[in-house]
This record gives sequence, C-alpha cells and structure tokens, in this order.
Amino acid sequence: MRIKRLVALSLVGVMATGLVGCGGKDSSTGKSGKKSDKLVVWTLAADLETFADYYKEKTGKEVEVTVIKPEDYPTKVGTALDGGDKSVDIIVGEPQMLKSFYDKGYFADLDALGAKDYEGKIVDYVWKVGQSSDGVQRAISYQITPAGFYYRRDIAQKVFGTEDPVEIGKLFESYDKILETAETLKKAGYKIFASDAETSYFSGDEPWVVDGKLNVSQARKDYMDLCIKLYQNDYTAFAAQWSAPWLQGMSGELPMLTADTMWGTDDMNIWDSEDFAEKTKDFAKTEVFAYGLPAWGVLTMRDNVKETAGKWGVCAGPASGFGGGTFIGISALSQKQKEAWDFIQFCTLNEETADWWIEKSQGDTVSLISALNKHAEDENATYGGQKLYKFWLEQAEKIDYSKVTEYDKLIGDAWGTAIGAIKTKEKTKEEALDEFYKQVASDYPDLVIEK
Amino acid sequence: MAENNAKVQNENGKVELKKNKAPMNVTRGFFLCKKTILYICLILLGVLCLVPFMLTIVNATRDGHDIMTSFTLIPGDKTMVNLKTLFQKINIFRGMFNSLIVALPSTLLSAYFSSITAYALAIYKFKARGPVFAITVVFMMIPGQLSLIGFYELCKELGMIDTYWPFILPAVAAPGAVFFLRQYVLSILPRTLLEAARIDGGSEIYIFHRIVLPLMGPGIATMAIGGFIGSWNNYLMPLILLTTKDKFTLPLLMSTLNDAMDIAKNQGTIYMGVAVSVIPIIIVFCFCSKYIIGSITAGGVKE
Amino acid sequence: MAKAENNKAPKTVEVQYGDGTKVVVDPNKKGKLSKRETTGYAFIIPYVVAFCVFSVYPVFKTLYLSFTQYKGGIGIKPVWTGIDKYVLTIKDEFFWRCLLNTVKIWGVNIVLQLGLAFLLTIVFIDIKYKIRGLAIFRAIYYLPNIIAATSIAFMFSSLLDKEYGTFNQILSMFTDHRVRLDWLGSSSLCFITIGVIQAWMWFGNSFIMLMAGVMGISSDYYEASAIDGAGRWRQFTRITLPLLKPIMLYVGVTSLIGGLQMFDLPQIMIAKTAPSYSSIRTVIMYLYQFGFSGTTAKDVGRAAAIAYVLFFIILVFSVLQFIAMKGEDD
Repeated sequence: MRIKRLVALSLVGVMATGLVGCGGKDSSTGKSGKKSDKLVVWTLAADLETFADYYKEKTGKEVEVTVIKPEDYPTKVGTALDGGDKSVDIIVGEPQMLKSFYDKGYFADLDALGAKDYEGKIVDYVWKVGQSSDGVQRAISYQITPAGFYYRRDIAQKVFGTEDPVEIGKLFESYDKILETAETLKKAGYKIFASDAETSYFSGDEPWVVDGKLNVSQARKDYMDLCIKLYQNDYTAFAAQWSAPWLQGMSGELPMLTADTMWGTDDMNIWDSEDFAEKTKDFAKTEVFAYGLPAWGVLTMRDNVKETAGKWGVCAGPASGFGGGTFIGISALSQKQKEAWDFIQFCTLNEETADWWIEKSQGDTVSLISALNKHAEDENATYGGQKLYKFWLEQAEKIDYSKVTEYDKLIGDAWGTAIGAIKTKEKTKEEALDEFYKQVASDYPDLVIEK
Repeated sequence: MAENNAKVQNENGKVELKKNKAPMNVTRGFFLCKKTILYICLILLGVLCLVPFMLTIVNATRDGHDIMTSFTLIPGDKTMVNLKTLFQKINIFRGMFNSLIVALPSTLLSAYFSSITAYALAIYKFKARGPVFAITVVFMMIPGQLSLIGFYELCKELGMIDTYWPFILPAVAAPGAVFFLRQYVLSILPRTLLEAARIDGGSEIYIFHRIVLPLMGPGIATMAIGGFIGSWNNYLMPLILLTTKDKFTLPLLMSTLNDAMDIAKNQGTIYMGVAVSVIPIIIVFCFCSKYIIGSITAGGVKE
Repeated sequence: MAKAENNKAPKTVEVQYGDGTKVVVDPNKKGKLSKRETTGYAFIIPYVVAFCVFSVYPVFKTLYLSFTQYKGGIGIKPVWTGIDKYVLTIKDEFFWRCLLNTVKIWGVNIVLQLGLAFLLTIVFIDIKYKIRGLAIFRAIYYLPNIIAATSIAFMFSSLLDKEYGTFNQILSMFTDHRVRLDWLGSSSLCFITIGVIQAWMWFGNSFIMLMAGVMGISSDYYEASAIDGAGRWRQFTRITLPLLKPIMLYVGVTSLIGGLQMFDLPQIMIAKTAPSYSSIRTVIMYLYQFGFSGTTAKDVGRAAAIAYVLFFIILVFSVLQFIAMKGEDD
C-alpha cells in the first residue's frame, strides 16, 4: 500500500516536474511573447551591451544581450540556428566566421530591409566583408579595424632622428626593412617589438585558399622567416602578447627576458602583473619601440601607456591588414526582423551613435564615413596630437577584403604552430612544414594541396 | 609439489607467508604486524580518495591570494566572500535546480517504464517478446557515441534543441535497467502469488501496481539511484543540446566557470564552485552508499 | 526463453507461459491475441516506442549521415557521398593519433585501476587476515566515482595548476626549491595525469565488481580446499584467479568501451592552447570537433564515420581481449 502511494506520488511528481521542466521552454517563449519587442542579441564582445544600454536610453526599447566567448560562439550559433531556435534575433560574427555563416544561411538579407540605401556610407572594406558571395548585404560592423604600428616617438627621435609617422612607416615598409630597423634598434639598446607576434596583422598578401587550392604564397614564407629571425636574433623583448611584461612595455621599461624565461620561471609568473613586477625588480631593463595592433589597440594603449602618454605615434605597416571587428546581422529565423534592423541601424549607421561611441570608448574607430570625416581633424594627445581617425580611414581604404577566407582561422593557427616549432628549434623547418600540410589536409580534406 | 613448505606470496608486496617455520608466538607477532601494515595501506588509499575533496573544501574557505602562495589544511575565513563572488559569476543553485528538473523525472520515468517492461518481458508470453529482448541486449552493448550525432539530428527534427525533453523522454527506454529488472523479476517473483491474484480477479495492471511493483522495490531503487547519478553527472549531451545559460545543468554551468573569471584572482571562488557542486552528492552518498554500490554489482549481473 | 517456444501442437494444448502458469489454448483460433498477450504488448508499448525513437533511430541516422556530406545550416540537406568519409577517416593520420592518445590514457588507467582493485580483492578475501570494515572501505574507495566528471576535472585542474596548484605546493614542502610540475600542460606528463585521475575515479568501482564476483563463494571453497591441504598459492591460482578472471575480463572490456569514449576530463582540463592539447586529444574530442564545433572544418558526415570506425575498433578490441582472456584458461 505504502509503496503504491509512493509510486502514485512519484508519477504525479514526474508530471509536475515534467511540466516545470518543459515549462522552462514554455515560460521562456511565453516571456518573449509578452515582451515581443525585446530583442535578443548574442555577441562575442561586451561592446554591444553598452550599445544596448544606450539604445534603451534613446528609444526606451529593451535589448537583451548575451556575451559568449569567441571560441564557443560559432558552436552556439550553429547549434541554435540549425536546431531552429527562433529566440535569437541578432547574431554577430568576426570576419573569418562570416563566410561560413553566410553559406549556412544564418544571416537574414539586410537589403530586403533597406540596407542598399546606405551603400557608400560605411567604409568600403567593412561593407564588402558584410556581403555574402551573392552580393547580398548580411552584416554591418560599427567599427573598422585596420592595423598599424604603434611606436615610441621619443625613441624614434633618438635613434632615427625623426618621429614623423610617414618617415617611420618607411622603417616598416617591408619584412627586410623591419629586420634592418630591428638591428639598428638592437645596436642602440632597444628592442623593436615586445613579442615576435607583432607583425601578424601584416602577414601574407594573398588568400590562404585560391580556387580550392591551398596557397602558401612567398609572402607567407617571408613572414615565417621574419618571425624566426626576430626571435632567434634577440630582436624582441620575449614578452608574450597580453602577458604582464608585454603590457608593461607600453609604459616604458620592462625587464629583459630571454627565450628561456619568456613563459615564466620557477618563481616568476608572466600573467600576474603584481607578482611579475615584484619578482623582476632586479632584472636588467630594456625598452620596446613598437607594437603592431589594429585600430582597437588604441583602447589597450589607453589603459597601459601611463607616463609615456603623448610619446606615441602610429604608422602604417608593410601590408594593409586588419584584425577582428564585430559584424552585426539578423538571425534568419528571427521573427522581429524590422525591430532588429532598427537596432542595427542605430548601432552602425547613425551618426549620433557614432559620435557617442567615439566618446564613450575613448578612441575606438567607427565605420561610418561621415563620422570619421567629422572627427578627421581630432587630435589624439596620447599620440602627440596625431590625427588618428584620418590615419585609420586612409589605412582602411587600402584594405583588400578578398584576402579573407573561411579557412583563415584553422590554417592560420597551423601556420603559427609551425612557426613556433621552427623558431624554438623544436622541429626543423621541413618537419614543421610537413606537419602543417598534414594538419591542413586533415582539417580540410577537400582542399588541393601542392607542396 | 613442494609448495606446502615455503610459500612467498607477494600480495601488494607486503603479505608473505612461511608455513610451519617459526615458533607460534613469533609467527603471531609477525602476523599482527603485517595485518597492521595492511590496514595502514588500506587507510592510506582511503585518504588518497578523500584528500582532493578535503583540499578543495579547505581551499574554498580561503582567500584567493593565500591559495596561490601557500598550502594549509586549516580552513580560512573567506567562505562568505567566495560564495558571494561565485554567485555573482554563476547561479549554481539554478544549475542544481535544472539538474534536478532533468534527473528527477527521467529517473522516475525510467524506474516505472523499465519495471513494467521488465515485468512484461519476464512474465507474459507474446511473439514480440524474444525479439524485443534480444534487441534490448544488443543496444546495451552499443557504445553511446554511435547515437550521439543521430540523436542531435533527431532532437533537431523534433524541435527539442535547448529544451529538457531530450534528457527526460529517452528515459522511458533504458535497456540496461530493463535487462537488470527482468532478471530481478525472474528471481524474486513467486509465481504462485500471481496465480492467486489472478484467481482473485485482479486486473493485470492492478496486479502489477499492487503486487509486483512493491516486490520489485529494492531492485528499482538500485537502478534508480544509478540512473539518477548518471543523469545528474551527464555533461556531453547537455553540452551539445542546451544553448541558453539559464537552462544549463550543473556540470555544464560548472564548465563555464573558467570563462567567467580571471583565474589568477579567483582561485577561492573556483574551489567554492567545485565544493558546492560536490558536497550534496557526498551527503547523498553517505546515506545511500549501500544502494549505490548495489547498483554497480547489478551491472555485473550482465555477465 | 527457450522453454516458452513450444506451442506448435495440434488441437487444444496446454501451454506453459514464461512465468510458469499453464493455460489451455486452442491453436486453431488464429489471428486473435489472447488477453494476456494483449496486456504484454500494452505493457511494453511505451518502452518499444521510446526505444525505437531514441535509441534505434539515432544509431541508424548516424549511419546514414556517415555516408553523406553535411555541414549543418538552415535548410541544408545532407548529400550522399558513399564511403568517402570512411576512406577519409581511415587515411587520416590525426584520427589514428587521437586513437593512440586515447589508448595511452586508457592503458595508464586500466593498469592502475585493475591492479589496485585486484590487490584489494585478494587482501579482503584473505581468510587468514580477516580484514574488517569492507563496507566502509568500499564506500570510500567508490566515492570519487559518483562525483560528476566535470567537477572532478575542475577540481584537479585547480589542484594541479602549474603556478598555483596545491599539489605543487605540497611537493614543494619536501624539496628546497619550488616545484613547478606542469601536470596538464606537458605533453609527456598529461596523459599520465589524466590516466591516473581516471584510475582514481574507477578503481573503487572495479574493486566492488571483483568483490561481488568472489564473495558469495569464497569462504566455503577456501575452507574446503584448506582441509584438502591446498596451499595458499594453490588456493589463489585454483580458486581466486579463475573466479576473478571473467569479472576482470568484464571490467576490462567495459572499461575499454568507456575509455575509448573518453571526453569530459581532457576536454575540460586541457586548454585548447596548451602544448599538450594535441597529445591528449581523444577520438571523441576529435569527433566533437567535426560534429559539433563551429569551426569551418565542421563535417557531420565525417564525425559520423569516425563514430562508426571507432565502434568497429571497440568491437575488434573487445573480441581480442575476450579471446586473450579465454585463451589463457586453456
């Protein structure tokens, strides 16, 4: 008897919890049903949260923003949209994700909503990156991300006798020239870069894949040699990107590390700035001449330059590269396309928002040409009064978006692995390249690979 | 053979037996000594099983910076601070609640439907019985990864991505539980009892609910606990099928812990997260370890 | 089951049911289910339906997809490609590397897990020492097994952290310098680390299985053989070992099936950027990358083919292991 009651109770329990369980789904759809105007955004960077707050402030409309970390982002979007999830309205993508997102039909057609009207108002390469292969506009970014070298004007003056961005740009105009510059700086007691990854935004002048064929161009090989030489000839400060010494170099002196100590030692941790500063007090010091970063590097510098503020300049690199950038589009399954388009317009095509963002982010570079022109004469004090917006716009105009392929992420990673193995002499060049070709062949079996 | 005389048997390097050699009291002392060593080894092994949890719990009460620089077994006073930080990052109780919402119905469904199926397969005779049982056994042997991709596609087709249905509904068909419970019914159910009940005119479903189910209680409990823990600990399926963070089950939520924080600064919080997720299971285990351990050997019945 | 299959007799006949009840049946009354048969079907219908939908269908769906080109996407359908994906998988060096990684981890794990369980079993069944407290020891040894692998993974990735991990701190107390063993980041160490953790989680389980296999029988047998004058070694080889062997085989096979599907621990504990990642990546991690990750290399058909190739390998391994253990008997 007792057991039977227990069973009966359990069954009721099953149903009750079952209801609650699926209630999870029901109530959430119910929720979004109630607030039908509430947009749901899935993004990679926290920027859009700030935009959403501003959007609410201006229009009173609520936007729910979920930030997902970049390596999980494509997976989440794929799972949700393949599975027919209609709860997401706005999705974003970084350039290397976009092509496969277009192919899989994740992004709605923005032209149908009126995007065509805005042609020419956004920096060209950004506009083009936002188009699928059939020429339909599917995503727009609020920022441009051309890359350049951030250099120390005071060191330039001392070593090269000039601090003019155009003149300094010539020191970086080719890989050979960079090595020459590095040698000069080394003799003068400086390091050209903090890490050997500073040139990565300027690597390669051709796409990784051309007509279904892996394309390891001469520029790629030259870039590989450049990285190896920078590392092996002690031209850099052996400060891994984003580590404590790397950031420390932005404000002046940093402890001299070596190939052996660049990833830390028994009692020194390069990722913990306090610990690092404490443990390396007695180290010999050196100074770094330049950092290679996209336009958003301004934000990193802003937080780290400290007393070197005003001593920086920005110049062009050996190629017109760009790094990252958040492109906003509408989920093909969204039921609120009009509302979503309104939000995208607000974020990307609205001059007033662009002004606000320039101010709010303290120097991020927007993609709206009219805003860039308006701020073209703005002088940035951190960079000795250089007119950065004008500079970035010029750089952005030279960018060749057709270099971007959907294969870039994995092939680029494999190439980086090969470079790392060669420069540390873990593998010979031959072995490392062999492994690289194998890796690419395994990742993309359909590519034709000729060594 | 001469093996009766001097046998040197090496059981984990400690047990050593020499027969009929030394006087009685020496042998006895030697024996006790060895027995003590054995106990010490067993206890040490037990400690090894518990130490990681102890360290975790102790670290959960300490300050992040202290954890990074020193080691101690003395609990610190940062319990509340760590808890607070943890809840700022992830809502771990929400994760537990979600896990419960998944594990409870699936366990109950599995218990009920596995019992009734096992009972039918054991007692009734019908044409499909043999084939159904055979296929059940075959599917017990098939590794889960074979169905992983197809299962995801199925959930897509049924529109069940990002819902709890894919974790609950399949519990109705648990081949392992059916197999075990069928053996169980065959071994414990007195046929005469069924006969008597039938003569009394009880309907079949009534007999099952009133007579069979109570008798199967211990077997069901054993299976259910095993099923509950399996469901509670499941990681891969939720990882593939859930997208909304509010719906994440505990293991999945735990795995987002890393993303959410600056590891170097929040060691105490991470330990707290682990501790909060582990302690309830340890408590449950303290009370039902008998059933839980029963469920393992139940799996062994397959042999 | 066989006992219930003999109802092909003429005229009315007494039929014995599986439950032992006897019923008189007229075999000429065809096409109509008896009441009990109907009840039997009614009782298993929910199971059969759910089984077909959630167990059988996915397995065949995976099989179908393994013959197609399919990357996911809205409104995109799989395209039949025949055995391409199988050829690709078998020729793919990285697949075999992942398999080797998996086997390495499993190897470390099984040696420790079965070895410990075996030693514990012979200690506990030894009638001479009469070790007490089996229930409590068993429970403690089993504890790690019921904790979610994600929690375990998190716990150990913190405890084993190269810089801040408590384990290295403890080791440092025994040496004059700071120990900075990279348990998870070093390619040579990480699979041992993972294997040991895996063994730590599972030896209690194996121990319980082995004990269950020998317990009921042990004392009687042992006493009888002791009276026969059998020595302990003889007892061990003649009674204990034969009793343990099939269970060890069973534990070994199930552990292999589970071990080749290893995923949670390495997936959570080893960062994708760690140098050890490529030397720890298991087959299911590899499958996951193609089947579920968002990279542009996503290839569901290939993931499905990997699943089936792995299944086939598991099958071969299991049969081999089975034969090996059986062979020793003869």
